[in-house]
Amino acid sequence: MITLLLVSALCWPLCVMLLGVWQAYRTPAVQRRYFSWWWLSAAWPALLLAYAGESQWIIDAWMLGGQWSLNALSRPWLAFTALLWSFAAFHARGYFAKEQAKAQTGDHAAERRLLRLALLWPLTFVGNVLLIIAQDIASFYLGFAVMTFAAYALVIHNGTPEAKLGAKAYLILAVIGENLILGGLLWAAGSAETLLLEGVREEIATAEYGALMAGLLWLGLGIKAGVIGLHVWLPLAHPAAPAPASAVLSGAMIKAGLLGWIYVLPLGEPAMSEALVRLGEIILIAGLAAAFGAALYGVWQRHPKAILAYSSISQMGMLTAMIAMGLAAPDVWPLLLPGVVLFAAHHALAKGALFMGTSISEHLPRWPLAVVWILLALPALSLTGAFGAGLISKWTVKSALYEMHHEQLITLLTWAAIGTSALVSVSLWRQWQQRSAGGSHPGQWGAWLATLVAALMTPVWLPLPEASVAIPPLKEWVSLMWPLPAGVLMIGFGLLLTRRLRIGTPPAGDLWWLYAPLGYTVVNALRLSGAWLKNAKSTSVDITLLIEKQVMRRLTQLTGMEGWMRHHTSGLMMALAITLALLLIWEGA
Amino acid sequence: MNAAWLPLTAIAASLLAAVIIFSLPEESRRLRTSINLLAAVIKITLVTLMIQRVVAGDEAIFSFQIVGNIDFVLRADALGVMFAGLSSLLWLCTTVYAIGYLEGTANRKRFFGFFSLCVASTLGIALAGNLFTFLIFYEMLTLSTYPLVVHSGTDKALNAGRIYLRYTLTAGVVLLFGVVLLYSVTGEHSFASERGLGDYLGDHRTLLTFIFALLVGGFAVKAAMVPLHGWLPRAMVAPAPVSALLHAVAVVKAGAFGILRVIYDLYGIELSVELGVTTALAVAACITIIYGSVRAIAQHELKPRLAFSTISQVSYIVLGVSLFGPFGTIGALAHLLHQGLMKVTLFFCAGIYAEELGIHRIDEMDGAGKRMPLTSLAFTVGALGMIGLPPFAGFITKWYLGIGAIQAEMYWVIAVLVASSALNAAYFLPIVYRLWFRVGPAHGHGSWPNEQRLGRLETHGWLLWPAVFTAVISLAAGLLAGLPFSPLDWATRVAVGEYLQ
Repeated sequence: MITLLLVSALCWPLCVMLLGVWQAYRTPAVQRRYFSWWWLSAAWPALLLAYAGESQWIIDAWMLGGQWSLNALSRPWLAFTALLWSFAAFHARGYFAKEQAKAQTGDHAAERRLLRLALLWPLTFVGNVLLIIAQDIASFYLGFAVMTFAAYALVIHNGTPEAKLGAKAYLILAVIGENLILGGLLWAAGSAETLLLEGVREEIATAEYGALMAGLLWLGLGIKAGVIGLHVWLPLAHPAAPAPASAVLSGAMIKAGLLGWIYVLPLGEPAMSEALVRLGEIILIAGLAAAFGAALYGVWQRHPKAILAYSSISQMGMLTAMIAMGLAAPDVWPLLLPGVVLFAAHHALAKGALFMGTSISEHLPRWPLAVVWILLALPALSLTGAFGAGLISKWTVKSALYEMHHEQLITLLTWAAIGTSALVSVSLWRQWQQRSAGGSHPGQWGAWLATLVAALMTPVWLPLPEASVAIPPLKEWVSLMWPLPAGVLMIGFGLLLTRRLRIGTPPAGDLWWLYAPLGYTVVNALRLSGAWLKNAKSTSVDITLLIEKQVMRRLTQLTGMEGWMRHHTSGLMMALAITLALLLIWEGA
Repeated sequence: MNAAWLPLTAIAASLLAAVIIFSLPEESRRLRTSINLLAAVIKITLVTLMIQRVVAGDEAIFSFQIVGNIDFVLRADALGVMFAGLSSLLWLCTTVYAIGYLEGTANRKRFFGFFSLCVASTLGIALAGNLFTFLIFYEMLTLSTYPLVVHSGTDKALNAGRIYLRYTLTAGVVLLFGVVLLYSVTGEHSFASERGLGDYLGDHRTLLTFIFALLVGGFAVKAAMVPLHGWLPRAMVAPAPVSALLHAVAVVKAGAFGILRVIYDLYGIELSVELGVTTALAVAACITIIYGSVRAIAQHELKPRLAFSTISQVSYIVLGVSLFGPFGTIGALAHLLHQGLMKVTLFFCAGIYAEELGIHRIDEMDGAGKRMPLTSLAFTVGALGMIGLPPFAGFITKWYLGIGAIQAEMYWVIAVLVASSALNAAYFLPIVYRLWFRVGPAHGHGSWPNEQRLGRLETHGWLLWPAVFTAVISLAAGLLAGLPFSPLDWATRVAVGEYLQ
């Protein structure tokens, strides 16, 4: 039964895709509906699978030998991923309703865009599911690659110059990331002769160059997870992508990098080598730098979705810091893991709700304004840890850290939460400034409300192991909640102080504007060297031809000499005879 | 029972087809087509029989003495049968494709006659049991491909043919010199010897190295290794089915296969490592891989870009051979098949674009995915496979090569592999992007360079189905690599035989 569910979880989205192709051929564009019920249902079998219990499959015929499993880690992960994808699909149905109407009146560009999105959406989802259940390297890498490359269509959907830039940044970094991951996986798997992620983890823990392998994998997967320095695609791609796509990108797909880390890094290994501990410290610093840097840079942004992208970077920075603890302080990891999963799940849904919220504030439903804004603010409050599931997820992480006496990190994470509060309040404020009425589609607000509720109640439905989540004791509530007013106050004061100053908006994508010219220089250098190689080659060919010509000329000269000899045969023969005769005479004498 | 007739009839089938085709009049199109297809099917059947015998542990051998100790030997061993299987399968596809491609053009009799000869020689190369027999078929291949390269008869084609002959015949002389030298020193030239040439190591170390350089240098011309690759990009003027066959099976692969035979069956892998020649070969292969990719980026036309990609990809095979260890070997052997499948798909598609829409340049391909979805899907499969993305066949080989490099402790090879896949992505992804994400004539912007409606489907069925078929196979070769008789499985079988000797 569960195997049947697995098969349908992977095959149903592909079938949905094929149905889409079929429909594109059969139905005329005027009647075509891209987001029909079966399209919405693409993620449902996977959602059911997550609740069907633990299981394991070994498939020898699959690539290098497949091993998939649903365990204490992959089940909750699959649950929140599939749930977010299902809600986002509903949201997409509402979000694209106008575009679909346009396509039905004969706008070919809209028709093309929608078809592309409708076809590649389920494919991206399949990749996401596969990488979650995969325990063997090939399947994981396959899932990761499918998800990464198919998501390109989600990013580029609008086709505006901004979308193209975002998609370009996304693709370039994705290719770099894929190659880093491949290098790291190959290195570890080759040394250990393993085909399983488990083997990679063990090899990294014991091998001489384990830290280097781990470093490669951390960076490669970190491109997806927005590690600082490699995060530049996030703020470029998110504002340009449609809201439902941003929701899954920032909610579900960004977590794939995190899950990859948990799968391949030897987190919590008791005997950690010194180099790995050092790597853990580097990761910790990078994570905290992202958590603070993104907040400081993000608050100056104008576009709400850019601000939310920076908030994602900041939140992922916190998660990165927790991952780093698994290397730097392995004993805390077993306690921390449930907290990380809950944190990730809650962030996925809350960020999804926030991104969907940006499309709500652009098309305000005809409800009392106050209700809408309170609803819009709820996931933001939860994200700061002051309310709902955010409070619990933060407490789960904190209590684990308390238990092992990492108070310093707790302090830092609390301060980072101030940054989060600042970011989400700026985002809400920008949404308020840029709000417009216009009535949203029931699918749009329905999905948004559902995601919102799911985000606030994350611990209730997430299939976590028993007793891994607890409600914080009352005396801790203040310590968990104070970052919110602090952040809001800081932003308020900041606004008052800088009102007189004219500060322009720094460009979204920060370091990208440093990388881009560098990249162009490198590509140009490559082109030039290519041209130079071509020149060198043609020169060498010319020289060879010249030499050949010279040799031929010499040979022709020989022929000329032969001709001359033929001409003077008789004389030569005479001369020869005389010479011979003279020789004979000389001999005789 | 020794089935000597098997390898002989397999070669004779194509030779006979060539003779019959040459004797038929130019107009008898239908008969020629059926003979072509019949010969191809017979050949596949015979090769399947040979594969069955190899699985049963019984190699079919045919041999007769020519002079003294020199025999003409055909032997269907695991490695040979692997190459024979590839060539007979792809021959069938290419024949179907060529029939569609050349419909209504002149000189088809000449084309198909030499086409059959070319395949007969490829099969001979696959089944040759010693260096002497190998050399005969190798030279026969050179001569029978020349008329195919110059088929169009234009100045450009004739020029390309001249350059092709200049390269390959010189290489043939070098090769002959090497073979004669080897035979005079050791009296050994069979691929079946168990010991390799290890016995001569003490006395003739330098000479053996020199002969190795001669042999591999001779083969490297056909395998298009830098700097001996100059003929390949020019030979692009040949018709698409010829390019497909040249790049996927016949000429380029014959060179790579020669290198395989020299290292595994003639010298023996231990001796090659002992001589230190494999490291040199690995360096040469890596230079070729990077150089080919860098040059490919600079190409603006589709077929030259594919040609430079071939230069780069074939050296993956050589690279795998030069990595001492089972994984490198498996990678090399599997890539012999995988590269063939993927490259033939790409060239089929390039030919379809040229015939149906008149597309030659890459910037003319905008939006072709809408006009020709199946062709473009096949092309995408081939291109993503070349980059080495899962689940396509190219991923499997890249994985094995990488593991092989790690186990041979040549870590820099990983960097080369990673750089090469990045470069591959850099020249294949823009094409895929243009196919699917740009708007073009199919969306009402501008028009195709030279559009023809060749068939009811997006193009002529004889052109379309071979491309789709090879694309499906190269997907299956990656996705179901664990199945018995997949390329990976067979390569493992050969490699196990090699390392358990």
